[in-house]
Amino acid sequence: MTTTAPTTVPAGTGRGPALLAVDGLTVRFRLRDAVVHAVSDLSLDLHPGELLAVVGESGCGKSVLAHALLGLLPRNATVTGRARLHPAAGEPVDLIAVGERHLARQVRGRAIGLVPQSPATALTPVRTGRRLLEETLRAHGHPRRAAADAAERVAADVGLHPVDLDRYPHELSGGMAQRLATALALAPDPPLLLADEPTTGLDRPLVDHTLDLLRRRCDTGAAVLLITHDLAAARRVADTVAVMYASRIVEHRPTPDLFDHPGHPYTAGLLDALPDRAFTPVPGHPPMLTDLPAGCAFTPRCPRTTDACHTTPRLAADGGGRLACHHPLTPGAPA
Amino acid sequence: MTTTVDDPTGPPDSAAVTPTGLAAHQITVHFGRQRVLDRVDLHIAPGETVGLRGPSGSGKSTLARVLALLHAPDSGRVALDGRPVGGVRYRVPAAVRTRVAILFQSPRAASDPRLSLADLIAAPLRATGTPTAETTARTAELADLVGLTSDLLTRRPHAVSDGQLQRACLARALAHRPDHLLCDEATAMLDASTQAHVAAVVTDYQRRHSAGVLLITHDPALLARWATRVVDLPGAAVDPPARPPTR
Amino acid sequence: MTDLAPAPARTRPSRRPSALLRGGRPGVVLAAGVLAVAVVACLLAPLLWPLDQSAVDLVRTRLAPSPEHLAGTDDLGRDVALRSLYGLRVSLLVGAVAALVATVIGGLVGAVAGTVGGRVDRALMRVVDTIAALPHLLLGIFIVAMLRPSLGAVIASIALTHWLSTARIVRSELLSLRSRPFIDAAISGGASRARVLTRHLLPHVLPRLALATTLMVPHAVWHETALSFLGLGLPPHLASIGNMINDGQRSLLTGAWWASIVPGLALVTVTLALAALTGRWRDRLDPRVRAELQL
Repeated sequence: MTTTAPTTVPAGTGRGPALLAVDGLTVRFRLRDAVVHAVSDLSLDLHPGELLAVVGESGCGKSVLAHALLGLLPRNATVTGRARLHPAAGEPVDLIAVGERHLARQVRGRAIGLVPQSPATALTPVRTGRRLLEETLRAHGHPRRAAADAAERVAADVGLHPVDLDRYPHELSGGMAQRLATALALAPDPPLLLADEPTTGLDRPLVDHTLDLLRRRCDTGAAVLLITHDLAAARRVADTVAVMYASRIVEHRPTPDLFDHPGHPYTAGLLDALPDRAFTPVPGHPPMLTDLPAGCAFTPRCPRTTDACHTTPRLAADGGGRLACHHPLTPGAPA
Repeated sequence: MTTTVDDPTGPPDSAAVTPTGLAAHQITVHFGRQRVLDRVDLHIAPGETVGLRGPSGSGKSTLARVLALLHAPDSGRVALDGRPVGGVRYRVPAAVRTRVAILFQSPRAASDPRLSLADLIAAPLRATGTPTAETTARTAELADLVGLTSDLLTRRPHAVSDGQLQRACLARALAHRPDHLLCDEATAMLDASTQAHVAAVVTDYQRRHSAGVLLITHDPALLARWATRVVDLPGAAVDPPARPPTR
Repeated sequence: MTDLAPAPARTRPSRRPSALLRGGRPGVVLAAGVLAVAVVACLLAPLLWPLDQSAVDLVRTRLAPSPEHLAGTDDLGRDVALRSLYGLRVSLLVGAVAALVATVIGGLVGAVAGTVGGRVDRALMRVVDTIAALPHLLLGIFIVAMLRPSLGAVIASIALTHWLSTARIVRSELLSLRSRPFIDAAISGGASRARVLTRHLLPHVLPRLALATTLMVPHAVWHETALSFLGLGLPPHLASIGNMINDGQRSLLTGAWWASIVPGLALVTVTLALAALTGRWRDRLDPRVRAELQL
């Protein structure tokens, strides 16, 4: 079920205030003898009803983004920049500046739901699905009586049979566990959902089911940030796709545009690697995040490199999207 | 292309028809009370890529482990070039062991965290008593084959990305120049570029050694692109547990 | 977090105990300092202190702490501070040796159970469970009672009652490692059972085993103390913390608290320091903490 992607452009153009406005987000990890540049100067806006997919190779920093927004980074991380969350009801809050107490009480679970990567390990093994759901609902203000009904309703939403609700997590199949984890994230009805590789290890039908759940959530007004390495998944459900490479967003545009007319040579290379396209890899390796080259990090692997590429290209508006490249591919031109 | 019948209820003696390659005959496996595989036949001929498809829990990975001689089936047997293989795990004769290799889904789980990438690749060579000089040369050759640069080889698994680690695991799997490679969702966790790279290395190797490849994947595009034929495993009757049952 | 940035290889936190001091947590440094001072003092006591710890002086009994006798004297006029050092020395030695012996026994039993598996595993674990069901001080007393009171008897008593947890740790580590795909990968590469055991299983178990041994030392010291206190441990002329506390009881009634409190405090301080250090080491071995430290 691919809904028509809105024609509105990703960052900062119209459509009222963004639900999530990330501005200049930078995350560094200090190591004993190196600094990991996990996220660099990342900006993006996410509006209600929008599903934004962040795609990229493993180790490009995309997962760190999700953890930074939830304040779940380890102690040796330094985060700068802003990430303002504007819930429809309530005061806007800067997720980076606000303290752990506020995040724990007001944000995680309530304002931002997290669909975890491996549901089998994310679920408490000693509670049945029903108890997990009811506890979550009660923690978010449902009275006891209402929680029981609401639990069944949320479960039905994600396609869980009431009988399966009375099983313990280890008695559930991978797919059912994923549905339960999703139900738990959806139960408090958060306006923003973060899904961090929610489909790893699931088979196609389950992948599609999980993705469709997220899509349906968007269609009822929530915003979803989907982090994935799976381009097919992004293509199926995302309104806009942001491509991350070596800690930076290099391209961000509406899904059909990105898949049909990539502007960044890296995006083009990634698309060419798909089995239903050229099936040829991008040559070379991504750089280590501890040792990023000066200028455009894709330079060593890029066929279009010139001297200009030694300065970092700015992520600038480009034909309905955003692009950070000195020598973009023009639509229709060969890569 | 072979004419093997890959029907679970097919004739038990199909080895007679296809003498070369790796074959599973009437494999049945139970985990506890649950029957994961029920009299399954599968044959991989030299040079072909057999795509294996089936819903979650239909026993694809178990079948791969049986074929890799890592799991003893409750009944049925595995045959290499028509000769049944006696024993599993440690009891497989070295001459047979080195002819079948397996590549797992998670390179991280499949790598000893204590070993450097170079030691990881060299492990099968050392295990079979290859002389040191030859091991060193072969390791370099394998690393080159999968596109790992020498600065990566001194790192340990936690210091490289999933993609780089899977390349090392592929190099390790090819160390003995096996003539059968079983890829169990080997690219499911990888980005498109690394997946294409792994596929390119495997196809190239396959062509040069006329090796048979088993390709387990959920991705229809990958099957369409890579597999020379596709076998369906019927789904299990019951929805299986999320985690494999512990013994 | 699977998507975290690859870190350079050399930043991997060392699993060696020596690495604990780097990164300087005040508590850890303090514990290490206390332990170092205690060990050095125990070893060098005969050189540093001109007094004879066993010299009986029936004139100067139960003297309160003074510059001459820092912790006073006991009911036989022996210097309590000095005797505490000698006591600690014996206790630590007994504790360390007993812990080592227990580790060897437990390690072997656990390794056999964990690698052979099946019926052997079930039989060995049944034995472990049976022994564990007995109160271990009682069992310890029974063992000393069967032997002549001596250093060896005390060590045997401790070792034979403390190997159970080590056996369980080693067995469960081996069982969980055995089902990891990297073991399958090694077998698939042609590794023999012996090779898998020595190259892939034991190297993962040894740090845990070393940790279990050090965690056991304080237990062993306390066990020795308890036996000696009950008069079943070391011969009374040997200064051991347990003997001293036991002897000191008699002086307590006359107000000479130092004869039992000082050795007691020495024991508590040293075992706390030891526990603090090993606790930190255990944290380092915890995979979750390690993942965080690796970032």
